[in-house]
Amino acid sequence: MADFELVAPATPEEAIASLRTGPPGAVAVLGGGTDLLFDLEEGRSAPERVVSLRRLPWRTLEWNGNALTIGSTLPLRTLENDPLLRARIPGLHSAVRAVGSVALRQRATLGGNLGRSAPASDLVPMLLALDAEVLLLGPAGERRLTVDGFVQGSRRTALGPAELIRAVRIPEARPSAYHWQRVRPFHDISHMAVAVAFSPSARAWRVAVAGFPPRPLRVPEAEAALGSARPDADAVHRAAEEIARRAPIVADHRASEEYRRQLVRPLLERAVDATVRGGR
Amino acid sequence: MTALRPDLAEKVNGTVRYGADLEAPGMLWGALVPAPVAHGRIRTVDLAPARALSGVVAIGAADLSKLVGGREGDALRPAFPHETIEYLHQPIAAVAAPTLALARAAARAVRVVVDPLPVVSDLESLFPAWPPPEASRSPAVAAHVHARRGDVEEAFRRAETVVRELYRTASVHQVALEPHACLAEVSGERWHVRTSTQSPFGVREDVASVLGIPESSIVVDGTWVGGGFGGKGSSFLEPWALLLSRASGRPVRLALTYREEFLLGRTTLPSVVRMETAVAGGRITARRVRLLLDVGTSLPGRDFATGYSIGFLLGPYRSPVFEVEGYAVRTNKPPFGPHRAPFAPQCAFVVESHLESVARAAGLDPVAFKADHLWRTGDSTPFGQTVADFGLPAALAAARTLADEWRRASVPGRGVGVAVGFWSTSTGAGGEAHLVLAPSGLRILQGEREIGSGSVLVGLAAVAERRSGIPRSRIRVEYADTSRAPYDAGVFGSRTVGALGRAVDEALVSLLGSLRARIGADGPISLAEEGEEIVVRAGERRWPLSELLTPAERAAGGIHAGGKHYGRAGTLDERVVVDGAFYPYTDFTGAAHVAEVAVDPATGAIRVVRYAAFHDVGTVIDAPSARAQVEGGVVMGLGTALTEEAIWSEDGRLLNAGLVDYRIPTLGEAPPIDVTFVEGYPGAGPFGAKGLGEPPIIPVPAAVASAVRAAVGAHATELPLTPERIARALKRPEP
Repeated sequence: MADFELVAPATPEEAIASLRTGPPGAVAVLGGGTDLLFDLEEGRSAPERVVSLRRLPWRTLEWNGNALTIGSTLPLRTLENDPLLRARIPGLHSAVRAVGSVALRQRATLGGNLGRSAPASDLVPMLLALDAEVLLLGPAGERRLTVDGFVQGSRRTALGPAELIRAVRIPEARPSAYHWQRVRPFHDISHMAVAVAFSPSARAWRVAVAGFPPRPLRVPEAEAALGSARPDADAVHRAAEEIARRAPIVADHRASEEYRRQLVRPLLERAVDATVRGGR
Repeated sequence: MTALRPDLAEKVNGTVRYGADLEAPGMLWGALVPAPVAHGRIRTVDLAPARALSGVVAIGAADLSKLVGGREGDALRPAFPHETIEYLHQPIAAVAAPTLALARAAARAVRVVVDPLPVVSDLESLFPAWPPPEASRSPAVAAHVHARRGDVEEAFRRAETVVRELYRTASVHQVALEPHACLAEVSGERWHVRTSTQSPFGVREDVASVLGIPESSIVVDGTWVGGGFGGKGSSFLEPWALLLSRASGRPVRLALTYREEFLLGRTTLPSVVRMETAVAGGRITARRVRLLLDVGTSLPGRDFATGYSIGFLLGPYRSPVFEVEGYAVRTNKPPFGPHRAPFAPQCAFVVESHLESVARAAGLDPVAFKADHLWRTGDSTPFGQTVADFGLPAALAAARTLADEWRRASVPGRGVGVAVGFWSTSTGAGGEAHLVLAPSGLRILQGEREIGSGSVLVGLAAVAERRSGIPRSRIRVEYADTSRAPYDAGVFGSRTVGALGRAVDEALVSLLGSLRARIGADGPISLAEEGEEIVVRAGERRWPLSELLTPAERAAGGIHAGGKHYGRAGTLDERVVVDGAFYPYTDFTGAAHVAEVAVDPATGAIRVVRYAAFHDVGTVIDAPSARAQVEGGVVMGLGTALTEEAIWSEDGRLLNAGLVDYRIPTLGEAPPIDVTFVEGYPGAGPFGAKGLGEPPIIPVPAAVASAVRAAVGAHATELPLTPERIARALKRPEP
């Protein structure tokens, strides 16, 4: 690991200033550090300045009726322990618990997970299925993007040069479920994952898949195939076929393409079933 | 709790100093210069750019002879290669600097020019089919072993059922929490190294051989060890650290990063095994086992694994007519190294799974079939060794009873599996202990560091307590470096209690004999604590120990006594050997395990629901430690069974050199584990104890695989049993 300057600004303004004044391309943002540290240790990234967000007042969680706003530096463990989350958005609760280990979630943040935007993120697919928005703060003030618009590719986002993720807003609580497959059930990276939610306001399904490059993605054709609030087995089967047809599923050293494709249907069936039954 | 471990408080409160914590005044930090290719001819290793950095010392192959005073080290395994790079990241030079960052920068500054050579990373690309006989002379073969007895061909011709299968096993790492680390300090002709090791004397011997300096010039001082699992049984970093210290005139600390642990670690490598078995009249009439074992860059003539391991592929079963043949295949990976019960869990997986296939093909119950063929006390092994006091049949009988109970309570999607494994403990390797008995208590002076299992600090004290009657609170196991401690071979091979424990026991027996003579007792005597002092008891009478010491003994701190254990190596029937070196087993022991698993038929995911282990231990010396050894071994074995697999690319890169994608079990996967000890079949250790360090890991992959077959009919022939492999096996289910 190369030497770097570590700064921990106390206000959002100072944080943005320290991003702007840093050497271009040589500033890294530190949330919980659980992903960044790998890059630093293995020399994939050698920033001259690391801006830690730990002192910013963004460790917040706010229910506003049915909507939920999560501060970007809130540790995932705190989010997971929110008394309402499991009942109201069970899919997000499962997705958060799928990240790393308890110890890791004590440090890891939602903002970090989004900002680092790994193809195998367990949180991004669920946020897609929840139509979540990202609230960004930068030199020109605040702006708002859908998660779908924010995440652009493998480790690529729409984040501007001196912008920070301030919060994530989930517009409504939804029956939802997140099902994954890994080599090891705990503390591993999902090589196939399906996030499902049913929007009570739009009376429509949301389906997103993840675990392969370039990025987690929504599959609108699968959503349409599911149709009604209580899809039958045929509808779920058709939705699975849509995912298999449209998702760019590939092989890597974690799983073969064939196996990943084989997982789509059972994971989707279970996620839809759980959502219909109230989610988990 | 009678036996709180004496190292517990220090380890829990974090004051223990492990190898990686070592520092010394004026110390330099070492770093290794890694080879840039997996195979290549060295044109240039230019150290000048590193040496140009202020305070940096750099050494390479050209400096070796000068640094050791012109002596000849191991010509076949020099500290740095002179001509050929054999694996990626192989250390080709080393540097030391006042800071770690500077040392790493200096290592990067070394200019290396190599001509790449073709890389062999996969043994099957070298030998896609079974090698022809002339392969044994190929430079790609480090060893060839071949043994047979009886008319194998005729037995296969006359068989009613013949089953032929091919199995593959994966490379697994030891994953000790503490990385390899040492601190070397050379002054004059004294080569001193503090190091985290399972064998200080073994390191001394290796360093002497690699560097060509006499053992008498070398002092090895073991530190606390944060886990060994076989990976710290011989020298590794010490020669490089010593050379750097010699070159710089300063103490040098050298420690691996965790990534380097994976990249450089010497461990169990992949294998391909062909199994053939002939059955007639419900009995095995002939076996044929053919093994290709990847030994990385192990040297020809120095591969121990193949000739030792291949016997485990026959299993603990009567096999009067057999043929085994194995090739140790050289690939561009680090040399093969031991991993808890080296290669035996993989062998047990293969032989147990195969015999289950054989029994099914012959229409027989697999467990009954195995029990029928199991060695009994007094049997001869295929290699003509006698199996003495063998508790495995009793362990299997108990396991069968429990498995039947679990099966009756099981539900669809779940299955119960049973498997056995045997082991030969390294009680042939010698050791000595020096005891001092004083009125205040007993000191056991010896040369091994506790590596975490408790075998040194608890095991040796428990032996002494049991022999003498002195309570454990008055027994201290003390460590000394190789310049002061009596010799011992090492904490490996499940031998600590069985071999070093015997040395302790022998010394105590002589102490008790001396005391008996002093008090003129005819019958047995024992020692006990009374008030603040040790007393000698004989029948109703008692003598304070202080009154039995001579003035000379008082001046010397107590009565001194030495004990030695130099076990005999076994012999095998050389008439069965066709080619190569086989190694006899000593002190047979074994275990039968029962696993219940739940398998998700849609994803192939396996969950181990509960587990039971029945172990032939001769005699339990310390129940809590023994139980912990079994529990730890089972969980470690679940890693080999389910998730652990080092994956190499075709150009010899390790693709998962870290704990993200090299997956050891977490507490979340650890099932409830029942442990039962089968006593009454004594081994060579004190009070008939048998080794227990390695046996617990051996049957685990086999037991899990058997349970998966029972649950969903998926017969996976490749370790580890990842969900994807099980999903694939489910596409061709067994009847």
